[in-house]
Amino acid sequence: MTWWQHPIVSVGRILVSGISNVGELVCILLRTIKCFPYIHKNIGLIVKQMVAIGVSSIPLLFVTSIFTGMVATVQAEFQFRDLVADKFVGTAACKMILIELGPILTALVLAGRVGSALAAEIGSMREKEELDAYTVLGLDTYRYLALPRFIAFITMVPCLTVISNCLALIGGWIVCVLALDITSYTYYTGMQYLFQPMDLWAGVIKSFVFGVIIFVLGYYHGLKAGAGARGVGVATMNVVVSSCLMILIADFALAAVLFK
Amino acid sequence: MPNVKINPDDVMIKLRGLKKTFGSQDVLLDVNLDIRRGETMVIIGQSGSGKSVILKHMIGLLQPDEGEVAVDGITISTPKFFDTRTIRRKMGMLFQMGALFDSMDTGENIAFALREHHPELTEAQVQKVVTENLKLINLVPEFRVKMPSELSGGMRKRVALARAIALSPEILLYDEPTTGLDPITSDVINDLILDMQSKLGVTSVVVTHDMVSAFKVADRIAMLYKGRIIEVGTVDEIKNTENPFVRQFITGQRKITTEED
Repeated sequence: MTWWQHPIVSVGRILVSGISNVGELVCILLRTIKCFPYIHKNIGLIVKQMVAIGVSSIPLLFVTSIFTGMVATVQAEFQFRDLVADKFVGTAACKMILIELGPILTALVLAGRVGSALAAEIGSMREKEELDAYTVLGLDTYRYLALPRFIAFITMVPCLTVISNCLALIGGWIVCVLALDITSYTYYTGMQYLFQPMDLWAGVIKSFVFGVIIFVLGYYHGLKAGAGARGVGVATMNVVVSSCLMILIADFALAAVLFK
Repeated sequence: MPNVKINPDDVMIKLRGLKKTFGSQDVLLDVNLDIRRGETMVIIGQSGSGKSVILKHMIGLLQPDEGEVAVDGITISTPKFFDTRTIRRKMGMLFQMGALFDSMDTGENIAFALREHHPELTEAQVQKVVTENLKLINLVPEFRVKMPSELSGGMRKRVALARAIALSPEILLYDEPTTGLDPITSDVINDLILDMQSKLGVTSVVVTHDMVSAFKVADRIAMLYKGRIIEVGTVDEIKNTENPFVRQFITGQRKITTEED
């Protein structure tokens, strides 16, 4: 190979690898969706995953959401001080939290907590030949492993986002009453002002998409995990990095679609 | 050695011209082997020689680059063969580390596939099969509530065997069944392999480099060397072979010895 061919070959390899990876991600998603008719037979497994992904994440989200709401409200009050009426602090906090902060922060926290756990679990099962054992026993891994987790992700991430929104708004209210000398009534009427149901629904739609992203990337990196503890460690790191990037990119794309 | 009547013309698993490459590494070059119905075939060879790769081809976990794998007359190595579920239900596999489902207890591990494949069975019938299978592997029914993490290496393999036979397979594949076990526990596993053949009449393929185990359970032994089966024979034939590579392996010599030596 001559010197000028090297960069062309490298670019070609990256392109082929990228297309192949996207193809594998789409395959994971489609093979999981294909198992939807078995949802009613896997209720036990689905509930178990919902508890692991959803209920167990609430304590962490409680802390992050309350403080995010507090910070957002303090910043809104600081930026608007002497410029607009106090009630607009509630308006700004509500808009910020419902449209962006709630869905994005919930998704990023869950990518770190449950996305990495999913990759580690699947990677470890692959390492210990458990995935082969499912196949050998004539059991479809997508039905018994992927489907329950997928359903849990696409239902729990939106639910947790709504909970996170509520907690963040409560955080904002606490800081208004205790530190900013803004009454509950002012904060509440400010929240109602300019509120549109689409603000809430946009966040829920976004979080649904984020749930799909975290699941697909978590499962993919689990299947691709290398051997040993290092392989699983690298897989968990990859899932957090790729999920965070994809969540931010998808957020931009969804914002452009939902609010055009 | 087992005492089961085997028809030499009744081939259960047929491998022809099997070739498999991983990256730049040629693992299998040209593997040809017939495994007869009801016999226990032991495949021996050095670690990393591709014994487990052969086993995974037999059950359809891997597809060959070239060559043919036929199970009970059905070619499973062609991309046109999609009915892997049917063929796999004829087969059970004991993985090297057991591969028990960590999130389920012992009873659930055995019952899980049974419930899914036989929804017509009542819970009482499923539990009866679990108890019978635990008895077959010499474990008391109380073991059903133990989690895999609470079991020793030998027990994990026995439970994995109970899980493998839950669907009444015709073929059992054993991937290094005695690796990592003490000699006494290894002998317990060897006896179980013999029991499976005599009580259930299964065709068994055992991959191992434990020659004590190989000589005890085998009807025939095949030696894999550098991607090819270089010798197939009964236990006595293998013990008395002139092939220097087989002699080196079964006697555990670092260097090849010949008659002249």
